[in-house]
Parts: sequence; structure tokens; C-alpha cells
Amino acid sequence: MLAIHVYLTAVLFLSLIGLYSMAFKRNMIRILLGLEIILNAANLSFIAFSARFTGQVDLLGQSIVVMSIVLGGCVVAIGLSMVLNAYKHYKTLDVRELRRLKW
Amino acid sequence: MVMVLSEFLPYPLISLLAGAMVVLFAGVLEERLGQGRTKEALSVIFIALALIGCLILYKDVTSQPLGVMVLSIGAEPPLGACFEIDLLSVFMTFSVVFLGLFAVVYSFRYMEHDTRLAEYYSLLLLMMAGMVGVALAGDFFTFFIFWELMCISSYVLVAFRRELWGPIEAGFKYLTMSALGGVLIFLGMSLLYGMAGNVNFAYMSVGIDWGTAGVWAYLAFILLFLGFGIKAAIVPMHTWLPDAHPEAPSPISAMLSGIVIETGLYGLVRILFVVFLPNAVLLPRGPETFKYVVAVFSVLTMTIGNIMALLQKDIKRLLAYSSIAQVGYMLVGVASGTTYGLLGCFLHVFNHSLMKGLAFLASGAMVYRIGTRNLDEMKGLGHYMPVTTMALAISLLGLGGVPSTNGFVSKFILFGSALAPGVNMWWLTLIGVLNSAFSMAYYLPIIIRLITKPAEKSSELKEAPILMLIPMCIMAILIIVFGIYPRPVLQLADSASKALIEGLQGYISKVIP
Repeated sequence: MLAIHVYLTAVLFLSLIGLYSMAFKRNMIRILLGLEIILNAANLSFIAFSARFTGQVDLLGQSIVVMSIVLGGCVVAIGLSMVLNAYKHYKTLDVRELRRLKW
Repeated sequence: MVMVLSEFLPYPLISLLAGAMVVLFAGVLEERLGQGRTKEALSVIFIALALIGCLILYKDVTSQPLGVMVLSIGAEPPLGACFEIDLLSVFMTFSVVFLGLFAVVYSFRYMEHDTRLAEYYSLLLLMMAGMVGVALAGDFFTFFIFWELMCISSYVLVAFRRELWGPIEAGFKYLTMSALGGVLIFLGMSLLYGMAGNVNFAYMSVGIDWGTAGVWAYLAFILLFLGFGIKAAIVPMHTWLPDAHPEAPSPISAMLSGIVIETGLYGLVRILFVVFLPNAVLLPRGPETFKYVVAVFSVLTMTIGNIMALLQKDIKRLLAYSSIAQVGYMLVGVASGTTYGLLGCFLHVFNHSLMKGLAFLASGAMVYRIGTRNLDEMKGLGHYMPVTTMALAISLLGLGGVPSTNGFVSKFILFGSALAPGVNMWWLTLIGVLNSAFSMAYYLPIIIRLITKPAEKSSELKEAPILMLIPMCIMAILIIVFGIYPRPVLQLADSASKALIEGLQGYISKVIP
């Protein structure tokens, strides 16, 4: 089994990739993908920690991750439906076009 | 072990969740059969039931030894999800349901020209259920599920009028920022889980080896602070709020400003005072760090909120910035870290829910009549809508903290708490009072503009519909009543803040025998 540091490094890099994608990408769908990447980083962190305490795997961490995948799916579904509305309205997915409010 | 294994959720939660289902089905059925008013009536009934459930919950909690009630689902904590209810949870639940009742009654007329009303009422009830669940949760797992329930329904409600460009933009911005906040909370929660071995609040409070935690504890705190800060609109994480709140329908703005951002604050306070502060002495430079971080963000939040509010021409945007400033005042109480400070904080949460709720409802009624949010075009509106203007004036004076309104009482306690011996943050009080005085610079011009003589006579403008006026008048009267006779709410908030600090041992020992 790998040491926990390896997993935590992966969590760090995944979070950074997600944050980069949310901050600098222009495509609205890519922004949502960035969100999903950070959520998966958090999930990975839970899974890594769940194998840490007892000899076997801790059930609590696993069940939290299952639930969080569902919740993440809901958020992204709502986000995509908003993207769809924005696309109908602006005919583009470029988030810079949504500048009529002061971003 | 004193454990209540319950088949039921807490009463207010049952009522709101069941209400959301029933209202949705009734609404869809109604649309098939033609127009009716069942869904509105049903949502009011279910919220009233939740209010009664709240009272029952209060009686249950106070009759329990130690003043804490534990309801666990499935298994016993730490493995099972649980609700751990103390008086603070009851206080927050009460604030949520109370404001929700007004917002729903107000929605009858305000939303009547919109379609998809079944979804609207159902989502409003779900959002309230999410907030109630957050307030009652006893572990981070339950907390996070209800947190996301609250967030997801509020995204849809902000972007409810999907054919306009404003809600689309504001909704997407709100969604990305707030979901990022949720994910950061989740990441911070995973670090706490890694340190404590489970996610129960009580176990986290005693189960973490703080001597070795060091950097990890601070990292978890930073992540949680960022996550809750985004939801509570702490500057510099506030940028979604001035867009999302004005673009939402007015009753939803009232809910968002009145209680949703305070739920973020509640989460922060709960984590800070149950997990971090009791153990802060074990961390290098622990207690000062937590307090000063909150204090510095408090100063930033109120100052920038007030300055930005001064520059606005859009009344709802102005009120949104003023909400940011008010969150800054609440953080003064959190920074002081005493029972007295928290009393001020939670009293202000309740008072602010009344005042800002009323301000948004009254300005929404004006928008409903004149169709614009621009302050310049509202000149002389007071001559056509006297009752609405009066209500708005009362709420604005309350927000500015004029004596004889309830805003004065809670601000007095908040700013006094930073002066208490042992806290000694006189600069926080000074900046707070200056900010509070400064905020009148944008509240008063609104009132002046409304009551000046209109340029030309217009006969089409008339007073807001009676169903909008009723909740507004009740709230305005309550603002004055609680300003002159604050005792009932003060006592509730007092026992709530005592439950958090002095009742902490009871809170822990109820779960860990």
C-alpha cells in the first residue's frame, strides 16, 4: 500500500488543476469540469484517509464519498442546465460574454 | 449511554420536506385542472406546522438533561448520521421558519405572473428544509447533505426567471462560486476526518491529536473558513452576492440576504467554537490566531460593504452590499469569542433577518409597481405608496441602528462585546461604530428621495396589494416591538449562545458517554 503522502500529493495537484480551470478557462463547461475535479480531489482525500486508521477500510469515509458523488452530480446537472439557458440566450459558451453584470 | 434512536426526523424538518413533496404534486395537479390557489395555501400550512414543530422542539430540548437532544438515524454515532439539537439549533431553525412564513405569504401576489409556481414553492420549502437541517445537524455528513440541499435549491431559485439575462448570469456566477465553497468545505472536512477518524462534531472536538496536527489543523481551518466565507459573503469572497441577490425574485432575495448567508455564518461559528477554539491552546499561537483572523476579516467586510453600498444606484444592489456590511458586524461578536459576543451575533442574525427581509420585500413591492430598480426613478414614490415607504423607512433605520429599533439593541451588544475585559479589541468597536454611522449616509438618502415631492402627478401608481402589505406591516411592527421590548428574543439568543460555549461539555458528553 502506498503511503498517505502520495495520495495527498495527488489531492493537492488535482485541486490546483481544478482551481486553475475554474479561474482561467473561458468555456462555461470547462469551469464546471474544474469544479468536478476539485470535488473528486476531496473524494480521493476521503478514500485515502479512510484506509488509515484500522487495519481494514473505514466504512464512514466510503459512504460519505458515495453520497458526495451524488451531490456533485446534482450540482453539475443544475450548472449544465444554466449553461444551456445561457447558450440559448447568448449563442456562445464563452463566459466573458456574460459581462453585463459587473463580474 | 443516553441515546435516542429515532424513526423520525426532527419535526420542523419532517414538515418542510413533506411540504415540498405535497406542494409539488398539488401544484402540478392544479396546472392540469386549471388555476387554483391550493399550492400557496398548502405551503403556508406546512410552514405554520414547521413553526409549531419548532416550539415542540424547543420544549423537548429544554426538558432534556444538559439541554441537548440527540436523534440518530440508522446507527448510533459516530457511524450513524445524527441530529444533535441544542438551543442554538432551535434558535436558527426558528429564524429560518419565521422569515420563510413572511416570504411565502408575500410571494402570493409577487409571483402570480410567473409560470412554474409549483416548482417555486416546492424549492422554497426545500431551501428552508436545507437550512433547518444545517442548523440541526450533529455531524459533518448530515451537515453537508443539507448544506447542498440548501445550495442547490437556492441556485435554481436565483436563476428562476430563466428568460431574462440578469438571472442567467447571476445564477451561473452564484453557482460556480457557491459550489466551489461547498467543495472547499468538503475538502476541509476530509482533513478533519483524517485527523479525528470520524466526522461527528463531538468526536472531532475531543478526538484530534492537536499536538501533532499543527499545520494540518490550520490548513483545515483555512479551507473551512474559505468555504463558509464564500457562503457568508465575507470580503473578499463576496463577489457573487451583489449580483445574485438583486437578480433573484424579491422574496428569494429576502430569504437569501435574511437567512441563507447567516447559515454560512452559523456553520463557521459551529465549527470554530466546537472544534477549533476549545483546543486552540494546544496549537502554537492558537487562540489569538483564530480571533485575529476573524477580527481582520470583520473589519474588511463591514468597511468594503459600506463603501460599495454608497456607490450603488440600484436599490436591491445597495441592500445586497448592506448585507455584506451587516455580516461584518456579526463577525465582531464571533471575534470576541465570548458568550456576550455570540449573544450579539445571533440576536443580530434574527434581527437582521427581519430588517433585511422587510427591506427587500418593501423594495420588491416598489419594483412590482414601477418596474425598475433605479433609485433615481423612485423619487416621490412615498406619495403613492405610503405604507410601503413607511415599512422601508423603518427597516432602513433599523439597519442603520437607530435606537428604538431592534437593530440598535443587537449592534449595541455586538460593539460592546469587543470592549469586554479579556477581549480588549477596542479598535474593532471603534471601526464598527464609525461604519455604522457611515452606513446612514446611504440609508437616509433613500428615505429622503422617497418622500420628496414627485415631479409630475401620476395616477396609475397605487399602493402595493394587500397580501404584500400584511407581511410587511407585521415585520415593521415587530422591528419596533423588539426594539422597545427586546427581552423575549434576547433571552432566547442568550440561552442559544450559552449552549454553544458553556454547554459544550454537555454537547460532547451526550454523544461520547
